[in-house]
Amino acid sequence: MAVYGPERETQGGRRQVTFAVGVMMLALATPYLSEGVQQEIAFTLQASALQPFIATQQRLTETRANADRIDYLQSELDSLSAVVSTQSALADENRTLRELLGLTERAGPAFLPTTVLRPGTPGSEGMFLVEVGFDEGVREGAAVVSARGLVGVIREVRGRSSVGMDWNNPDFRASAMLVDGTTFGIVENVRGTFREQDRLMLNGTAYHEDVREGTLVVTSGLSGVLPRGIPIGRVESTAEVQGGWRKSYWLRPAVEPGSVTHVLVETVDGPPDLTVLWAADSLSADRVPALPGPGR
Amino acid sequence: MSAARAWRTWILVAALLILHFLLHVGLGYGRGAPDLLTVGLLLAAREVGLGGAAATGLFFGLLEDALSVLAFGANTVAMTAIGILGAFTRDLFVGDSRLFAISYFFAGKWMRDFIHWVMVGEGLRQPFFDQVLVQGAAGGAYAAAVGLVAVTLAGRPGEP
Repeated sequence: MAVYGPERETQGGRRQVTFAVGVMMLALATPYLSEGVQQEIAFTLQASALQPFIATQQRLTETRANADRIDYLQSELDSLSAVVSTQSALADENRTLRELLGLTERAGPAFLPTTVLRPGTPGSEGMFLVEVGFDEGVREGAAVVSARGLVGVIREVRGRSSVGMDWNNPDFRASAMLVDGTTFGIVENVRGTFREQDRLMLNGTAYHEDVREGTLVVTSGLSGVLPRGIPIGRVESTAEVQGGWRKSYWLRPAVEPGSVTHVLVETVDGPPDLTVLWAADSLSADRVPALPGPGR
Repeated sequence: MSAARAWRTWILVAALLILHFLLHVGLGYGRGAPDLLTVGLLLAAREVGLGGAAATGLFFGLLEDALSVLAFGANTVAMTAIGILGAFTRDLFVGDSRLFAISYFFAGKWMRDFIHWVMVGEGLRQPFFDQVLVQGAAGGAYAAAVGLVAVTLAGRPGEP
């Protein structure tokens, strides 16, 4: 900051004081100017020296308004997406129910339609609940099917509900055969490193039988637990060959248990052979997931 | 005062003016931004004569009053008076110490708020304690901090 000594009494100094007093008088007069003059001064300064700052504020306000508008549009888009996605699930459920309705009509009263409930708790993987039980004629070992094929088997039966397991359960076993009846074996769950890597395997088939990829595998009915002819999946590839006497194959499952919401549960009146139920549609290639493709 | 230092001071005062209106009007920070206009006026008042300081205060005050709808003239009077008082300090206080600079900017800003409070009229006046003592003191401290930086940027006497 500058260091200044006392100002000498000069003519210039006196002029400075006079000018300063004049300016002060002018300043003191400004509050008493007429409103019109005050507004004129204000408008002049706003349109000149202050114009860039006022314009900046206007641009900033517009930008904020645009940002708010974008937020509003985004929320509208989110709402619309939510509606569309709900309708998509609804359409999917509608299609599933229509398929199931067709199967229900063909199966008759021997199968009961119901909804699948998944507990979703740790340790309940591969298990599901259905709202039909002993009172409706459901027994342990009853088949649980969808329009695409075998979903699982009933493990525990209660009065008005039952607990079933699908093929994701490590205990799942089903006697199976190729759809043409040439090769028999056992379909079982093979655990992967992660749950998502669980796969279905057709095990214990004769070594000399040549199984083509894409061949449909259905329940054989040999164990007396599951009726014959329910689609399980299609042969995807050879899993292993043991000692020149046994082969096993990876299957692409006909049903993805996680996506099943409505099923039919077999009752005591169920026929031992269900081949005819899927003969019309499910056994055709377009109903069971197509091959080739990666395992689940 | 060397010509280079005078130029530097006036450039700094112009920058403070632009920054003041950019922060207060352009970006709408309000009280969050310091009163750079008063800091600029106090800085200029130490560099120019009495008349120049009064004219600068008048101009700065009119700029602020152009955006003041209800109390036109209050800022003009306050800034002109501060300009004149700032120029008077050249005769009363000789020094460039940091303590003087802090006191100068603090007192200048506080007095500017006080004069504005007096001139604004009873209808618009807020309580003295709140407006002058509390907010004025806080604003003075803020201005002192900014002023100290401005003085440093302007350079010390004797510097080229």
